Amino acid sequence: MATRDSRSRPGRKADQEFVSEAEEILERMREDYADLDDQRAAGGEVEPDLINRLFRSAHSLKALAGMFGLESIQDLSHHLEDILDGLRLGRVPMDSPCVGLIDEAIHTFANLLESVGNEEALAAFNEPVEELATRIAASAKEVANSGDELQSLEIDDALLRALTEYEEHRLRENIRRGRHIMLVGSTFEIMSFDEGLSELSDAIRSIGEVLSTLPAPGETPESQIRFSLLVASDLTLSELTESLDFPDADVQSVRVGASAVEVISAPVEVDPTPQAAAATEMESLRSISETVRVDIRKLDELMNLVGELVIQRASIGEIAARLVAQRQNTQIGIELSKIHKSLDRKLKGIQSAVLEVRMVPMRQVFDKVSRVVRSLRRDLQKDVRLEVSGADTELDKLIVEELVDPLMHIVRNSIDHGIETVEERLAAGKDIQGCVRINAFQRGNHVVISVADDGKGIDRTALFARAESLGLVSAAGELTDREILNLVFAPGLSTQSQVSETSGRGVGMDVVRENVMALGGAVEVESTPGRGTTISMTLPITLAIIQSLIVVVGKHRFAIPINAVHETLLIETSEIQRSEGREILNLRGEPLLLRSLAEEFELGVSRPAEKQFAVIVGLGEQRIGLLVDRLDGQQDTVIKPIQGPLKNVRGFAGATELGDQDAVLVVDISGLVDDALSRKDGA
Amino acid sequence: MRALLNSALEGLDVPVKVTEASSGFEALRCLPREPFDLIVTDINMPDINGLELVSFAKSNDAYRSIPLVIVSTEGSERDREKGLELGADAYLVKPFEPEHLREVVVDLLARDVQSE
Repeated sequence: MATRDSRSRPGRKADQEFVSEAEEILERMREDYADLDDQRAAGGEVEPDLINRLFRSAHSLKALAGMFGLESIQDLSHHLEDILDGLRLGRVPMDSPCVGLIDEAIHTFANLLESVGNEEALAAFNEPVEELATRIAASAKEVANSGDELQSLEIDDALLRALTEYEEHRLRENIRRGRHIMLVGSTFEIMSFDEGLSELSDAIRSIGEVLSTLPAPGETPESQIRFSLLVASDLTLSELTESLDFPDADVQSVRVGASAVEVISAPVEVDPTPQAAAATEMESLRSISETVRVDIRKLDELMNLVGELVIQRASIGEIAARLVAQRQNTQIGIELSKIHKSLDRKLKGIQSAVLEVRMVPMRQVFDKVSRVVRSLRRDLQKDVRLEVSGADTELDKLIVEELVDPLMHIVRNSIDHGIETVEERLAAGKDIQGCVRINAFQRGNHVVISVADDGKGIDRTALFARAESLGLVSAAGELTDREILNLVFAPGLSTQSQVSETSGRGVGMDVVRENVMALGGAVEVESTPGRGTTISMTLPITLAIIQSLIVVVGKHRFAIPINAVHETLLIETSEIQRSEGREILNLRGEPLLLRSLAEEFELGVSRPAEKQFAVIVGLGEQRIGLLVDRLDGQQDTVIKPIQGPLKNVRGFAGATELGDQDAVLVVDISGLVDDALSRKDGA
Repeated sequence: MRALLNSALEGLDVPVKVTEASSGFEALRCLPREPFDLIVTDINMPDINGLELVSFAKSNDAYRSIPLVIVSTEGSERDREKGLELGADAYLVKPFEPEHLREVVVDLLARDVQSE
């Protein structure tokens, strides 16, 4: 080892040695802290071993720093060790604000490690480290434990007297949690007790916690030794005795859980009453036995079969209608039509049951996001909190899966580019801690997921300049505010001139939009400079079976997903106004942009002279009117992706088969709306 | 820690034989094997804790009179007090100088001789 003189700092090689060892410890601490944070957030009991590990890590770091003469690290880890010791011994309650400071200390360590080897840089940390240490010391308010509840236990005093402070705390904690406390005793030969005792302890550990192991002289003290194990378990005395299956062990009750717990004052958070806890436990046990896990592919298969049945049902409906229309077959037609109706009801039942099975709450995705936010907070050194609402909103499993990446990207962007640094926020007079809110809610047949930050907002000038430099827009062109904002979705565009590691290169908002649109959804952005940015994704609840409006243009039929249709109007051609080459309809005082589907798809058919139908469509907030010749009713449709050379044709979301077994194209509303609103001229 | 104790004790003026036990269990097995003059135990051990070892030794006629020293960390005053209540004769707080341990040991052994 290098020199041990604390005044002369060790050389470069020793520094590296220290940093690599310390980093290993820090990494462990990060992981353990993340778990602790999760468990605390979940409101459950924090695993005691987690705190013990953190405590040992802080201790190791202290010892290591001491060995290498790094006083600031040694000092901070000493304070950290103190609060962790307090937490582990129950002197400091788990809901103390000092727990959050563990995270801060871990960050500070990471910063300190970067400066090891540079005396000046290290010295710059003296003040903040001292300040943090003071805060840690001030926040770790200790609570006094009264010994009363332990004195009232029916337990040999010798056992209580030999409990360490940690063991006493674990005993209290288990009593507080309403567990049964029992004493398991067994006598062994003194020279060979190890094996038997370990077996017994291991067996107990699988069903409870061994709080202490007290040795006492056996009946023949020279050759025998007796062990009394203090045990806490959710199992009752008889259940534990039965599952232990150690004939030589005697088990006696020290305290029956669940009852009498209310007399114990809980200094920390109030738990659900033990009875309630026991009830939920029973419930969760039951739900395990009533749940089966199903491969999503099997559900897809089932959904496909249902989809085909739906189409065949429609065929039967059409045949029935034709029969009814033929005079000689009317009677048969009516009978078939009755069967068709009952088939229809049952199919609807199957359909909704299968759909329901595919639904999963957004919670799973949100949990993933919150983990990412935690690590971002650390990596980007930004003070951000994540607020989540609507985690119970349900979506098709497949959509949820596809949504993870876009959502992650948006949240990363918000934290990386949206939320300002602490200094910037202070200067702007904002709350130091930034906030990212994720909200999910159902709107009709759609689910809207929005990510809102209270950051600096999108800088329109910078965005425009960047788009201009990429040749995406020309300086001469006048864009509306919405059009400028929508530039964030343009390929290869990022207002941050330096691409950061977090938000990455390559995957940009353009990819997010592409992914969401592939799911039949839409993305919208709103931003107020200085106030923040909100990005909303609107997605269909399911992709499996959807209702479509069938429209006719000339000889062609198209399907429009009904969830994108707001209303349909029959309008006189004279009502259509023209302005700057655009066709506009005055819809209850609001101008609505019109598009002719015939012209959009270059079908080469002339428009009806007098009257035509306008289908008002749009996902999210944006709307346009699609002009068509006729409406041809609604049908259940199973949208299949288009394969082969037509795959990349714009304007279509897929193809579907109709009841008369004719295949039609499904209009990509989101793409069409974006396209129409972003085009400058009416061509 | 054990190596440290070992070397500190070997530095005593009187030659002593030191038996090391790597855990509480091992200590329990060592006890009946030979007549010891002194026990030094840590409080934190992987199987049983030092207090339990003290409790065992003090409740057993064969070992009750062996002087007992407990070693604990700075923060665990409470454990230390409990150890003394259980009958431990002295304590040391980590980290300590070898010289301090030798003083405590010499003192205890002298007391032991006097009482005999």
